[in-house]
Amino acid sequence: MKRLGIILSLLCLVLVSGCTAQESDSHEKVIRIAEQYGIAYAPVQIIKDQGLLEKNCPGVQVTWEQMSNSTVIREAMVSDKLDVGFMAIPPFLIGWDNGMDWKIATGLSSVPTGLVAKDEIQSLQDIKSSDRIALPQPGSVQHILLAMACQKEFNDPQKMDNILVTLSHPDGMNALLAGNDITAHFTSTPYLETELATAGYHEILTGKEAFGGDFSFIVGVTTKKLHDESPEVYEAFKESVAEAIQFINDHPEEAAEILTKYYDYSKEDIFTYLTAEDTEYSPTVKGIRKFSDFMNETNYLKKSTTDIGEVVWENTADAEY
Amino acid sequence: MQNIKAIFNKSYSKYIWIVIILIVWEAVAKLTPVSPLVFPSLELIGAALLNSILTGDILFQMLFSLGLIFVGLIIGVVLSFVMSSLSVISPVFESFVDTCISIFDPLPGIALLPLIILWIGTGTKAILFIIVHSVLWPMILNMTAGFKSIPTIYKKIGQNYEFSSAKIIFKIYIPASLPYLIAGLKIGWARAWRATISAEMIFGASGGIGGIGWYIFNRRVFMDTPGIFAGLVMIVFAGILVEDFFFVKIEEKTVKKWGLS
Repeated sequence: MKRLGIILSLLCLVLVSGCTAQESDSHEKVIRIAEQYGIAYAPVQIIKDQGLLEKNCPGVQVTWEQMSNSTVIREAMVSDKLDVGFMAIPPFLIGWDNGMDWKIATGLSSVPTGLVAKDEIQSLQDIKSSDRIALPQPGSVQHILLAMACQKEFNDPQKMDNILVTLSHPDGMNALLAGNDITAHFTSTPYLETELATAGYHEILTGKEAFGGDFSFIVGVTTKKLHDESPEVYEAFKESVAEAIQFINDHPEEAAEILTKYYDYSKEDIFTYLTAEDTEYSPTVKGIRKFSDFMNETNYLKKSTTDIGEVVWENTADAEY
Repeated sequence: MQNIKAIFNKSYSKYIWIVIILIVWEAVAKLTPVSPLVFPSLELIGAALLNSILTGDILFQMLFSLGLIFVGLIIGVVLSFVMSSLSVISPVFESFVDTCISIFDPLPGIALLPLIILWIGTGTKAILFIIVHSVLWPMILNMTAGFKSIPTIYKKIGQNYEFSSAKIIFKIYIPASLPYLIAGLKIGWARAWRATISAEMIFGASGGIGGIGWYIFNRRVFMDTPGIFAGLVMIVFAGILVEDFFFVKIEEKTVKKWGLS
């Protein structure tokens, strides 16, 4: 009996220690943001560098969490470790479809994205079952854009799904340029430009062609908890994003100078990327409905949005549905 | 108390624990306000599993992974057998193998990934390479330890009968060190699973439908938590099946029968 007592009390200890970890973070004004790197996320670095959140909401405690992809961000937001994340529209919709309590707060950026292939592949038609296409992951915006193009070209959105290889942008670029089995790579700035500058590779599909128009590449998403319980912080967040975007658009050179601290590129390169014709920083959200309808029709989603209010917080004026 | 102890001494005690774990799981899922996205109930997991079996490729993906593991294990067993036999015979080769083990054994296959992508690519060959790498070194360690544990008198008896080196290895070394070989095989089996799942999660469906690691990864990116558990259930199921039928049977037929363990 004594031994049973010891086992039970040990069990209780385990349970109690599991619970205490949840108790912290009772600070009043807190915002936890996922920090990601890349030209598409430039306003995020500007917000951090210029302390815009602290300026717009004095006393706020900002926590920056390093995260590498939208799946991790989504999981962190489900388990209440994160209030704000930046991601493309398709991963956001997948979370929304599965019952996550979150909505889009703001647009962030549109950057060039496209499918780069070896020169012997001239179009999607030339991609055989022995070819391999690298992209960040299934369900990513790159994957959905590819599915959209396959729908148009072959009337079969899943046509390429079994020849995909999941590689991060830098690994995908190395694999493509190594010339082994990866014959095409769906990627974005600045990897896209680097690959296109290499002899023997060319772009066979742009994101715009696949989508059939403009769309927001990255949007800012917040949890219902942040939106409802800390409206002040939420407003400050939106304002900060808008200010950072304004700053990049008005002073691209100064912004490029700041970004050299965060990215491994020269000021000139960053300036070129920031001001490229197809790069646009804007708080307006574009393309939700088209993504949503397409993903629903092709069974990547179980339902589609019927009203913009389901997926965007009250600032619907900022969104082109 | 005695009765309880007697129950847990039986060979089926594993299943009692599994049932207890399942009951606790269901109670947590049902009675606490936890989101099904984080902690799905057993019904949801069961439904996801059934759905994947009936409409999806999960069984074929499982077979694909098992096939890769099987091939990887065979290559690993053959290579480690050759290398440990040679190192038992030749002290020069032994020091070479020792050096290889101290260099490669602590290197996780996943850490080699960027190199593997550049050298081998991302196909089935790359996954096999990672499996063999993760299986080989611990198996060599076990095999040489097994060979070394054999009393020299056994070898001398063999020499007395004028056995050739090959005959000494097959007739004396292998049977006498079988408990070590089986332990090595068990470690290899577990490490092969780890290697396969992590490699598949990264390389995706390299040709065809992919394996069970790709299934789990796909469920994850589409936020289908019950589906993730369905994939895990399949792996656990395969593990228990192999442990309870394959390894237990081998041990009964050999080391237990011979009184080696």
